[in-house]
Amino acid sequence: MPPPALSLVDVRARYGGRVAVDGLSLEVRRGEVVGLVGPNGSGKSTTLAVAAGVHDPAGGTVAVEGVTRAADPAGFARRVGFVPQGGGLYDELTAADNLTYFGRLYGLGGHDLRRRVVRVLARVGLTDRAGHRVSTFSGGMRQRLNLAAALTHDPPVLLLDEPTAALDPAGRDALFADLTRLRDDGHAVLFSTHHLDEADAGCDRVAVLDGGRLVACGPPGEVLRRGAGRAVLYGHLRARPPKFLQRALRRRLGPGVELEVTGRRLRLGAATAADLGAALAAVLAEGLELDTYRTPAGTLGRGAEDPV
Amino acid sequence: MARLSLILALAGKDWRLFWADRRAALLCLAVPVVLASAFGMIFHRPTPDATPNTLPVLVVVEDDGPLTARVAADLLASPRLDAKSVTRAEAEAAVAERRPAVAVVLPAGFERLKDWQPGVSGERPELRLLHHPAAAAERQWAEGVVTEVVMRRLAREKFGGFLHGKGEEVLAAPFRVDAAAVSAGGARFNAYSHSFCGMTLQYLLFWGMESGLLFLRERERGVWARTRAAPVPVGCVLAGKALATAAVALVQVLVTFGFGYLAFGVAVTGSVTGFVLLAAAACGLAAATGLLVAAVGGTEARARSVSVLVILTVSMVGGLWVPAFLLPGWVRDVALSLPTAWAMRGLGGVTWEGLGLAAVLPSVLAVAGFAAAFFALAAWRLKAGERRLRAGDV
Repeated sequence: MPPPALSLVDVRARYGGRVAVDGLSLEVRRGEVVGLVGPNGSGKSTTLAVAAGVHDPAGGTVAVEGVTRAADPAGFARRVGFVPQGGGLYDELTAADNLTYFGRLYGLGGHDLRRRVVRVLARVGLTDRAGHRVSTFSGGMRQRLNLAAALTHDPPVLLLDEPTAALDPAGRDALFADLTRLRDDGHAVLFSTHHLDEADAGCDRVAVLDGGRLVACGPPGEVLRRGAGRAVLYGHLRARPPKFLQRALRRRLGPGVELEVTGRRLRLGAATAADLGAALAAVLAEGLELDTYRTPAGTLGRGAEDPV
Repeated sequence: MARLSLILALAGKDWRLFWADRRAALLCLAVPVVLASAFGMIFHRPTPDATPNTLPVLVVVEDDGPLTARVAADLLASPRLDAKSVTRAEAEAAVAERRPAVAVVLPAGFERLKDWQPGVSGERPELRLLHHPAAAAERQWAEGVVTEVVMRRLAREKFGGFLHGKGEEVLAAPFRVDAAAVSAGGARFNAYSHSFCGMTLQYLLFWGMESGLLFLRERERGVWARTRAAPVPVGCVLAGKALATAAVALVQVLVTFGFGYLAFGVAVTGSVTGFVLLAAAACGLAAATGLLVAAVGGTEARARSVSVLVILTVSMVGGLWVPAFLLPGWVRDVALSLPTAWAMRGLGGVTWEGLGLAAVLPSVLAVAGFAAAFFALAAWRLKAGERRLRAGDV
């Protein structure tokens, strides 16, 4: 049996003086999409950074197709495609220049690189924008190009840190369609989000992190059922609310209601549907405008914080 | 070979980023040219052989005696003065504005000079010089010329019979002054050469700083995480960054000196090899300065403030703004510990002083040595920072 595409065994990682990941073990196989879910500060980004080889674990082992970074740093890096949070592209360069540059960092060149650039641009539907500067791209186009930059060297493992944070619902759906195609092509995909509805929509498995520990892992339906009982609403805001407004809103909502805002995405959780309705009314009363929102049938919310 | 390819890829990216905003790039190249031209025009003086220097002065006559009138006429006719007769009030207003810096006042009672007898002591009439507070040299110059003019007139008045029919040459000085400019290569100071060398060096350092700030900004973005995830050693990243910075610096040198040559005749009159080596060393210094800014700067805002202060200071002390020979001795001694002073000394040597390779080689070695030391310090700091970042010690 071949080794898993990505294997994290008892991984521990520090960030400053804080333990960010604590004894995490997780495997992702080829042809599988795994969603890393958890609230802010749960260790999702650090886990992805460790898996991408940009953060050294304080303990445990990270291997890609059986290769560890310590044994073969270049081989490890060539097997991983990393899509960092907040965009990993040069806005001043064209889409093709970005892909060519990142391809060259992986030792590609000449005709082979040109062919790959054309292919990945076609794959993410940006062929006609190859010569345009990234600064002229929409959020969705940027994220697709971000994905393309991670695919140029054709790695078996793809790691995406909050890939949907800046996307509208249509952009998010397009991204999940891309991830599904990549899974069908045999890639192993691990991405982070703190919106469980996304994990429900596009994952084969969901790994729930809290306080740096893995608290649940399994098929989305199964994990969602464990967390059922809380009322949750996912929404897309018309504009990103300023921090002071978010703080004021949290104070107004009180400790029983969860409010998470990532870019223009909103997650609202409460103990009952009635509480959730009141919370939504309070949000709207503060002047926040919702483009869309939905309440999934089964939701996880903070109910999954208890170790499973 | 693979590493060289990586370095070229990294440098190529920075080169394209520099030219991505064409207007900003052209401004970056144009600013030193404009400043060097302005500095050159301000400090340029015609060569002594071409035009005799005259001192602009105002003459105020407040005594209506005949001797005073003749002295005033002599002052106005003197070939060493560019003199104009005005009232006292006009003179005071003009001198306060330094237009010109000196006025000669022949006050009431000056006519008593006609009673002067050689060897007889007594009360002497007064001649007043009004001068701008910052024009000590012009005041001394005026005092010398005025003394000569008055003494000649007095000699004519007192010894008129003796001098009758013997002409003006009798009163001429019994010696001839032969002034010669002395420099290492026997060349005359050229303000344009100096300003183009100085402004080029200063803006190489500013470009190095800007490159360092770009590096700091890049490290705050997702592209840095993506670069770190790629199989790229830190050394290659630094080498690529340095190569791109040095390449842009080289373009800046070519543009600035090219313009200086075409517009103002700034030429390499000494060793061309020495000039090429100095230019290369200065570009390396710019690149190393950029890495040092990124390595020790901390945040972008902090790095910018400190770097601007340091660059302006080392430019001033290093003689990039005004020639080093105008600076006090102790400043010139301190400047020997700065790369700017060595670079300026070398560039001045191969341009207006016309020195050979052997004479400027110490400058080349000093600038290259500073560049190597800066690069080593920056690389050590940045590699240590990368290790801390990987370990999560932030």
